[in-house]
Amino acid sequence: MAAHGMTLDVAAWASPWRTRSVRDKAVLAGGLLVAAVALPAWPGGLLAGLASLVLLVGPAGLGWRRLGRISWLPLVSILIGVATVAVSVSWDGGVRLAVTPSGLTTAGGLAGRALAAVLAMFLLAATTPMADLLAGLRALRVPDPLIEIAALVYRLTFGLLESLGSIHEAQAARLGYATRRAAMSSAAMASTAIFLRSWDRASRLEAGLAGRGYEDSLRTISPPKRRSTAFLVASLALIGAIGTAAAVWAVVAP
Amino acid sequence: MHIAEGFLPAAHAVAWFAVSTPFIVHGARCVIKESREHPDSRLLLAAAGAFTFVLSSIKLPSVTGSSSHPTGTGLGAVLFKPPVMAFLATIVLLFQALLLAHGGLTTLGANVFSMGIAGPWVGYGCFVLARRLNWNVNVGVFLALAMADLATYVVTSLQLGLAFPDPVSGLAGSMAKFLGIFAISQLPLALAEGILGVLVFRVLTDVARPQLERLQVLRASKLAVA
Repeated sequence: MAAHGMTLDVAAWASPWRTRSVRDKAVLAGGLLVAAVALPAWPGGLLAGLASLVLLVGPAGLGWRRLGRISWLPLVSILIGVATVAVSVSWDGGVRLAVTPSGLTTAGGLAGRALAAVLAMFLLAATTPMADLLAGLRALRVPDPLIEIAALVYRLTFGLLESLGSIHEAQAARLGYATRRAAMSSAAMASTAIFLRSWDRASRLEAGLAGRGYEDSLRTISPPKRRSTAFLVASLALIGAIGTAAAVWAVVAP
Repeated sequence: MHIAEGFLPAAHAVAWFAVSTPFIVHGARCVIKESREHPDSRLLLAAAGAFTFVLSSIKLPSVTGSSSHPTGTGLGAVLFKPPVMAFLATIVLLFQALLLAHGGLTTLGANVFSMGIAGPWVGYGCFVLARRLNWNVNVGVFLALAMADLATYVVTSLQLGLAFPDPVSGLAGSMAKFLGIFAISQLPLALAEGILGVLVFRVLTDVARPQLERLQVLRASKLAVA
C-alpha cells in the first residue's frame, strides 16, 4: 500500500500542473466531481468522466501507466460494490439470489458514476501535493492548530512508512511471516515499534522546534502559484457544457 | 473498509456529511483546546494520526487466504478518546483518499461516520465497560478493537443498504447482501485486530508505561515508599 500511495504523491509533485493555483485546480476537479455524482450517469456522469480522463492523460501529464497503477484499488472496491448491487436477494421459500433488470440498471449507473467520480478526484490528487492543499486550507481560514497537525501527520507518515518497510523486510528475512502465528506476532511487534517511533520522533521534533522558538504555526515558503483567469473560465465553461448536455438529454430523450 | 469515491448518491453523501460534521467540529475544538493548553501535545496528536495512517499499511493474515489491514481507530480511541479520534480519523481518511485512492472525497462524511465516530465510540464504550466490570485490561483492549471494527463494518453495510435498497427485499435484503459480502474479510479481521491490539498493548505496557499513564489509559504507578 505504501508504494501505491507513493505513486499518487509522486505524480502530484511531478505534475506539470504543480505550479497552477490550488483554487483553479479545485474548481475544475470539484466541479467535475459534483457533475459526476449529481448528474445522471448517462450522459452527465460519462461526460464528466471522459473529460477528467482526457485532462489527466493529456495536459495534467499523468500517463496511462501511472493511471493504471493508482486505479486498481478503487476499481476493485467499485467492482465488489457494483456486483453486490446487481444481485437481488429474496427469502420467500429459502434464500434466493437473482439478477433483475432493475438491479442491473442501478448497478450500471452506479459503475459509471463511481468511475467518473474517481477520475475527477484523481484530477486534484494527482496534480496537487498535500502540502499545497493544506496551504489552501489555511487560506480558507481553517484554524492554524488543525492545519499544523494535518501537516505534521503528512510529514511523519513518510518516515514511518519507510521504517515500516524496513521492519517488514527484516522480519520477513527472519521468517517472521512464514506461519499465521508468526505473522500475527510480527505484525504486533511492527505496530508497537511504529507507535514508539512515531512518539519518539514527535517528541524530538517538538524539542528541536521549541529550541527554535516554535509557538504557533510552522510557516514554510512555497513556490509562487500561477492563477489563471482563462483556466478558471475554461473550467467553468466545461462544467457548464456538461450540465447543459445532461439537461438537454433529459428533455430530448424519451 | 471504506466506501469508494462516487459510490453514494449525492443526497446520501450530503446527509452523511451533515451527520458527521458536529462530531468533527467537536473533535477539532477538543484538539485546538488541547494544543493551546499544552502546545507540545500538538506533535503527539500528529504522531497519533500518523500512527493510525501507517497502521492501515500493516498486513494481517486472513482466513480467506488473502490479507487485510487494521483500521487502527479502536486502538486510537482507547489511547486518545473518541472525540479526538473523530478529528484524527477525518485527517487520516482524507489522506487515504488523496494519497492512496482509498475511500473518497464525496464519501468522506459517510466514511468518517462509520470509521471515525461509530467505530471509536463503540470500541471505547466496550473498553470502559470492561474496566468498570473489573475485567482484565487485555479483555477490554480485545473487545475495544474487535467491536470498533465490527461497528465500522455494520454501519458501512447500513449506509450502503440505505443507498441501494434491494428491488425485491428492500433495505433488509440489501443490508444482508453487504453484511454477507464483507463478512468474508471483516469478521476474521475484527478478531485479528483484537488479538493484534492485545499483543501491541502488552508490549506498550512494558516499554511505554509513562506515555500510557500520561494518556490516562493506565492508572499512574504509585511510588514505592521505603
